[in-house]
This record gives sequence, structure tokens and C-alpha cells, in this order.
Amino acid sequence: MARPRVAAATQTDRIWKVVLPYLYVLPAAAFVAAFLLYPMVVTVGQAFTHWDGITEPVFVGLQNFSDLFSDAHFIVSLKNTLIWTVAAVILPVSLGLFLALALNAVRWSSFFKSIIYLPATISAAAVGILFTFVFAYDNGALNAIVNAVGIHSQRWLFDAPINTFSMIAAYTWQSTGLNLMLFLVGLQGLPTEPIEAAKLDGCTGFRLVWRIIVPMMMPFVVIATLLAVINGFKVFDLIWVMTQGGPGRSSETLAVTMYREGFILFNQGYSAAIAVIIALAALLFSYFYLRSVLDQEKQI
Amino acid sequence: MTVATSSWEKRGPVRRNAGFTAVLILAIFWLAPIAILAMNAFKTPNEFLMTSSLVPPTGIGPLFANLQHAWMKGLSGGFLNSITYGVAGSVLAVGLSSLAAYGIVRLKIPGGLFWFLLIYSGTIFPFQMYLIPLFNAYLSTGLYDTKLGMIAFYIAICIPFCTFVMRGFFLTVPWQIQEAALVDGANSWEIFWRIMFPMARAPIILLVLIQFTWIWNDLLFGLVLSKSEDVRPVMVALVGMQGVYGAQDGPSVIAATLICSAPTLILFLALQRYFVRGLTLGVGAK
Repeated sequence: MARPRVAAATQTDRIWKVVLPYLYVLPAAAFVAAFLLYPMVVTVGQAFTHWDGITEPVFVGLQNFSDLFSDAHFIVSLKNTLIWTVAAVILPVSLGLFLALALNAVRWSSFFKSIIYLPATISAAAVGILFTFVFAYDNGALNAIVNAVGIHSQRWLFDAPINTFSMIAAYTWQSTGLNLMLFLVGLQGLPTEPIEAAKLDGCTGFRLVWRIIVPMMMPFVVIATLLAVINGFKVFDLIWVMTQGGPGRSSETLAVTMYREGFILFNQGYSAAIAVIIALAALLFSYFYLRSVLDQEKQI
Repeated sequence: MTVATSSWEKRGPVRRNAGFTAVLILAIFWLAPIAILAMNAFKTPNEFLMTSSLVPPTGIGPLFANLQHAWMKGLSGGFLNSITYGVAGSVLAVGLSSLAAYGIVRLKIPGGLFWFLLIYSGTIFPFQMYLIPLFNAYLSTGLYDTKLGMIAFYIAICIPFCTFVMRGFFLTVPWQIQEAALVDGANSWEIFWRIMFPMARAPIILLVLIQFTWIWNDLLFGLVLSKSEDVRPVMVALVGMQGVYGAQDGPSVIAATLICSAPTLILFLALQRYFVRGLTLGVGAK
């Protein structure tokens, strides 16, 4: 249906030309505005109210935020979130970097790569259920192993703080693969000249990796670290499936506390305030993350 | 791998074997949980309760009973729902995102950067920021616990990242192609549908895969936006099964977990190469 190209565009043609791009952009923009942006704005407003979700919300200013810091549950939750963030950075990122460096010089590397990445393809909920069985008290695999070497059974998921570390182990199992892939991509893009030059100077093996390759990988380490902070901060599914933040709210993180306050205890204003705190922290790290990704892209 | 590889593999066999052993040990750690649990899917519920997880099963027969149990006692509905959500959500999101990216980059909508940031901002904030108002709005509009409501939300949540990737793609298409088509009398829709869309096949397939996997694996929004067995997605059904049967029928729950993990696992194994390329696309996704 080719339109004839007339010398003078008619009035309707001109209007059409102005309207046209909006027909392409608006449907997607409308979905995002209605389902994501509008709720987000409402959450910010709610954070300044007391609301049980049924009666009229009452404006209380900053009271939710000041209440948070005298709430023992919130303090525990904040502490757990810090543990999660630090551990979720250190373990998967360093294991991923080590594996990426090792796999570059080892037989069957693509086979190993697939094995380590495999858990990243299944859901956090499935990982949570699998590890609930691994950590089970009565006939769980871990207690069976521990018993075999003469230690008696541990309550891996029922005592704080050990349950947080058990869950972090499951999280590490799932998220190391993503970091491994990131670092492999990074390794492929390294310039070869400095490496060749170092080799000519007699720098090989472990020394080459530690002195030349690892420093060159630093931008990728920064990116992976920031990404791990952002993700570690938001973990919900795994904790919800494995302990529901229990026993007695002892293993909650901010994401779980927010869910419990909002959807189980119906303190919606209070819950919104926690959401705002999570968002502020995530935004801060996202800013640094985007900046280092953009710097990296500029160099390539 | 590339040239960088050869640079440090020239070292003594002792060191190389040390590296190999370390990787091998880690790989065993990574496989052990799956292997041990897969083994327990072969046990009868009683056998599972009476023996340790490390004891091998006595036969392979119970596996089929367990799989059937898992499927009949709650997983089947969720499984089929999530296939609908995953396919409809990812395809429609990628379609709408491609249109938007085309409008922004190729049709040069006024304030293009504003429109891009508006759409992209949907992915910057953590999910906790929209949960409560979304739940309230779904309750008051009647979208709560409906398939339509689930699909609509999944489309929305997938759009920002898809638009980000498609915008990047359209920026790389040479302008001469579009100008030549204009001279031939094609209108904007024909250029999009007949020229740009076929050219974008690779990123589109990749995006559909990534978004399908994301929707399939979602638990949080399924928990918040649905409740009935007819509507809830597969991960909510799985977690529900664990709550009900976890204590007395472990093998069925393990079998259910394996069933739920199979689709994304198979997708990954079949299309590994694309997934790895996807990581370089937009480091990190959601």
C-alpha cells in the first residue's frame, strides 16, 4: 500500500507525520506508566501515612521512618541484610573470578562452565526447596554427611544466625554461575599486548595471573561487585521459601520484612516506608553500577 | 577461547593439575545437591522418611508415582498457566518494546531521550516499590487473581529491559536501508515489519528466551497478584505443594521441583550459546 509521493503534502499528511511516532511509543510507555511508575509514586506517598489497607490512610509525616529505627524486628532485619549483602558479594564474586581464571587453563572447561552455570537457570524458589531438603534436620543430606564424620546433627534452618549462612550457601550455589560468565566475557575482551609483553619479560603462570590479568580485570570486578550488592539487597524468594524469615522473624531481610508488614500484618504505610529505604539503597548502588558499566563501554 | 588464553596456560603440569583439581572439587560441590535430591525422587514417601538422603533408593519404580503425584496434586494447573504467561508475556513485551524502540530511534519521536528514560525507569527500582499499590489497584479494578491481570503485569515488567536492548539494536542499523525503502515508497509500518523486524531476529529470539525464563521463575508477583489454583503461576503452586506435602511426601515435592526446573534447564542446554551472548548484551538484565 505505497502512498503516492505527491509534491505538496496535504494537511492530514502533516498531522499524521507528527502523530505517527507516538503510536509506536505510547503502548509500551502506557504499560510501564500504569503498572510500574504509578504504583511507585503511590508507594512514596504511602510511606508518610499510617494505613491498614481498609480504613482511610492518615498522614503521619516521617513517623514511619523514625519508628523503624526503634523497631527491634527492623534492626534485626537490617543486620541480616548487611550480612547478606557482604556475603553475597564476597562468595559468588570471588568464586566466579577464581573459576573464570582457572577455566581458562584447564581441560573440559566448557563442561565445567555448564555445571557451575546450571543452577542459575532454575528459579530461586526451586533452589530454596532443594536446599530445604539438603538442610533438613532429620534425614537431610548435610546432616547425614556431618554425622558420618562424627559431628551430631545441626539445626541448619532453625537457629539464628546459622540459618542465614545456610541460605547464603544456597544463594552462592545459584549465583556464582552468573559471575563466572561475566568474568569470562571480560577475559575475552582483554588486550593481548600487555600480556604478551609480560610473558616476554619472563612473567608466567600464577605470577602472570596475579600481577597482570587480575589488575586488568578490575573494572569487571567492580561491575560484578556492584551488581551483587544490588541483587543481594533484594533477595526475597529464597528466604521466603526456606525460612519465611523465621523462626520468630530472626532471619528476615528488608525485602522479607517489607512483605510481612504489608501483606501479612497489613501495616501498609510502614511497609511502604521500608520499600522506600530499599529503593534508596538500590538506587545509590545502581548509580555507581551504571557509571562503571558506561566507563567500561567507552573504553571498548 | 581467544588469544589471551594461550598466554598463561604454558606452565608446569603440577600447577595445571592443581587448578584442575580445585575446579573438579567445586564442580562436585555444585552437582552434589542436584544428584542427591534426584536420587531421592526415586524413593517412596515411607522410604524417604525412614532412610537418610544419602542412602540410594531400592528401585526406580516410585519415580513415576512421585511424578504423577506432583503433577496431579497441584502442579498441573500452575504449569500450564505459566506456559501461557511466559509465552504471552514475553512475546507481547518484546513486540511492544520493538515498536517503542523503533519509534524512539528510527522515527525520532520528539524528546526521544525522555521517552526512553520513562520506559527504562521501570527497571531501576526494586520490586518492593510497586507491590502494595499494585495489589490494591488490582483488587479495586477486578484484575486481582485473573489470568489477564497476570499477563498484563508480566508484559509491563518485561518492557523496560526489552526496550533497552532493542534501542541498542536499532541504533546499529544503517540509515541508508531506511532511506532506500522510503524512496521505494514504503511507509513506516512496512519498514518496521518487512525490514527492521526480520533484521532483529537474533536479539528478539534472545529476549523472548530471557523474558520467558524470568516469568517462569517468578514467585513474588504470583504470590501478591493471584491466589486461586486456576490463576497462580507454577512457582507459587510449587511452594504451595512444599507447604502442604513437604513433611510427609518429600519425594513428590522433589519430583515437582524437578518438573518445574525442567523447562528453563532444557532451554538453557539447547541454547547455551545465545544465553552467554545475552550476558554481553546488557550486562545484568533484571
